[in-house]
Amino acid sequence: MFDSVEDVVGQLGRQGYICGKNIGTVVYLATMLEKPVLVEGPAGVGKTELAKVVSAASGRPLIRLQCYEGLDEAKALYEWEYSKQLLYTQILKEKFAEAMTGATTLKDAADRVGREDSVFFSERFIVPRPLLRAIQSPEPTLLLIDEVDKSDPEFEAFLLEVLSDFQVTVPEVGTLKANHKPLVFLTSNDAREMSDALKRRCLHLYIDFPGAELEVRILEAKVPGIEQRLAADLVGMMQRLRKLDLKKTPSISETLDWARALLALNAKELDEGLVRDTLNVILKYEGDIKKAQGELGKLLVKKAEEPAAPAPPAATPAKKGVLH
Amino acid sequence: MQEKIVAFTNLLRKSGIRVSMAESIDAFVSLDELSLDDREVFRDALRATMVKRSEDIPTFDQLFDLYWSAFYDNLRGAFDQAVGSMGGEFDLEKMLQAIQQGLQNLQGEAQEMDLSELAKALLTQDLSQLEQLIRQAAQGAGTERIENMLQIGFFTRRTLEQMDAEGAGKQLRDLARQLRESGLPDAQVDALLELIDKFLEALRQAVRNYTERELQQRNFDYMEKFRRESLLEKSFYNLTEEEIRKMREVVARLAQRIKNVLSIRRRRLKRGKLDLHTMLRRNAGHGGVPFELIFKQRRKDRPKLVILCDVSSSVANVSRFMLQFMYSLQECFTKIRSFVFVAELGEVTPLFKERDISLAIDRALEGGDTINVYTRSNFGHAFHYFWQNFLAAVDNKTTVLILGDARNNYNDPRAWCLRDIHNKAKDVVWLNPESPSAWGFGDSVMDKYLPYVDLAEECRNLKQLSRIVDRLVL
Repeated sequence: MFDSVEDVVGQLGRQGYICGKNIGTVVYLATMLEKPVLVEGPAGVGKTELAKVVSAASGRPLIRLQCYEGLDEAKALYEWEYSKQLLYTQILKEKFAEAMTGATTLKDAADRVGREDSVFFSERFIVPRPLLRAIQSPEPTLLLIDEVDKSDPEFEAFLLEVLSDFQVTVPEVGTLKANHKPLVFLTSNDAREMSDALKRRCLHLYIDFPGAELEVRILEAKVPGIEQRLAADLVGMMQRLRKLDLKKTPSISETLDWARALLALNAKELDEGLVRDTLNVILKYEGDIKKAQGELGKLLVKKAEEPAAPAPPAATPAKKGVLH
Repeated sequence: MQEKIVAFTNLLRKSGIRVSMAESIDAFVSLDELSLDDREVFRDALRATMVKRSEDIPTFDQLFDLYWSAFYDNLRGAFDQAVGSMGGEFDLEKMLQAIQQGLQNLQGEAQEMDLSELAKALLTQDLSQLEQLIRQAAQGAGTERIENMLQIGFFTRRTLEQMDAEGAGKQLRDLARQLRESGLPDAQVDALLELIDKFLEALRQAVRNYTERELQQRNFDYMEKFRRESLLEKSFYNLTEEEIRKMREVVARLAQRIKNVLSIRRRRLKRGKLDLHTMLRRNAGHGGVPFELIFKQRRKDRPKLVILCDVSSSVANVSRFMLQFMYSLQECFTKIRSFVFVAELGEVTPLFKERDISLAIDRALEGGDTINVYTRSNFGHAFHYFWQNFLAAVDNKTTVLILGDARNNYNDPRAWCLRDIHNKAKDVVWLNPESPSAWGFGDSVMDKYLPYVDLAEECRNLKQLSRIVDRLVL
């Protein structure tokens, strides 16, 4: 699938996911060792996106299991299709009657029914849920278990069993084994620490906020048409913003949103008024916005020193254009 | 290489990073799959397989640098310097060639040249071999037992003895002498002798450096562990800024744990009685045959909390942390009301909701705009005021948490107020920074209140607090 760490970085880059070698190494190892990857990191740094692009780059179909409090086996693994079973019973009523003819005693009849009961508890009546689908799939797949930290500890224990052998036992049918080991990505926001047993079975990848250089590259890849200068200013501002003690630190997705917003506003330059007006794109709490506004001078000043001639009028007509 | 990785794994374990057997095997397997030329890839592979908690990553990075990278570079630096200090026209390559030539002449005369591995490595500048030798010798000398600065000299000497540096030096000097006899120009032999001395000095430096590094590695986890443990034990009264910051993290973790426990509890309780009504409706599609059983969901039993926190000057330091604890709790629970008191009592719930933690605590310590903190504490008055105005906030699902030292300045304790609160509440919990032996002595009225408290605990440091927190929730 991938030849080397560089190959991973390259292929992901072609899918529009710019990443450093650390991510490449882990993804490469996961494919070589066939081990699940536990991806952790702050919200919005591209954990889920990573699984999606790996799926696209490797050509494996993505099967996604979104975890939430109360998720149980029936929703994650398989469920019996009761109504279908019922329907079949109704339709096959006559056949049953045929099978029963000649049964003299009640016990005899019950035995005959018993002989046939495997018809109703066969794979025909199983509704596969994501985990079983990943296991049964005839082609290799990529299984994304999203926000695994939101699930309950019981579910985590159950997940362990699946992840270690990639086989599932359905009591009435038997053990179903994976044709191909799926590539598994688990993402976590650290709402709850995962058990050691689960962690031991996974490779661990921590995705942090990117450095300035990487973030500019991501920005240019994801928001085509953004000017280099604006991208650099924007990223610089974001990097400084992240150093503030905020309730919700803005991450890459916010950077991208902001860049798109500025692009829509036709902005060529960051200036104080513009930032003040659009701050609510990147900061999601009133308190955070107030704090950032207070520090706005500091956040922008550093930048203003760098370019020789900032052109403040440039932004004003741009905003006018939007208002019209 | 394998041994090095095993040793590194041990180092990680000693520093408090849990690396299981399976994980170190993973590390080995993964290294087979990668080319090891790239240091970053190597580090990422080790990190992905052995470090599974994001908090451990900084520790890992530091240890990795200490263990893997710097030493070889340092070795190279020492020897480059040795060669560099030989003067302008000196050329190591030429010298080596001349020696090679000389050696061949000597061997032609069938003279047995028996150089030790160390001497060979020194002469040919085989640095990785040299690194290996230093590691082995250090192991032989027991350098991993090093404990303090004063032992650096000792272990350096022992390591050098172990690798027989002196013997190697002697062999090399002998070699130079033989080369001179075999007709090598005097100038070159002198240069060689000088070089040998320099190399030996460089080796000594490298070994010393290795020993220091070893000490750093040992100390790294020792210091860290020491700091963490003492922090847990340390009482709230005497803390520095840095420690306060760390403490904040721990409080946040405690709160998180409460949340986890709550979620488990809630789930266990979720299933109630069979819900016949809904079940029949839901199963109408199956001809009324109840294939799916529907249970009534039990009402979520969210704990209600009322917290009364003493902010008088006698407990100033403790109450800062109690307020922090209170703030964290308020972030976790929805049904919670927070009050502060000295003699007067005032509610700070909205203040905590709106403000940042540090600001909110500072404001609360000043009375939260509702009370005057510059009075003498009077628990009786505060409880009475609560009884008069806020008793309605307490019902049979409410836990009342009181944080204070019960030093009442010989005022009337009015314990009957607390009795009434106790009768209405589910539980009354009192966390007192003083030890139980002091309760009831002097102006402490703790003994008067004790009959109406379900759980009274001494709480002066985080360890005690975390123990109580477990009981509080379960």
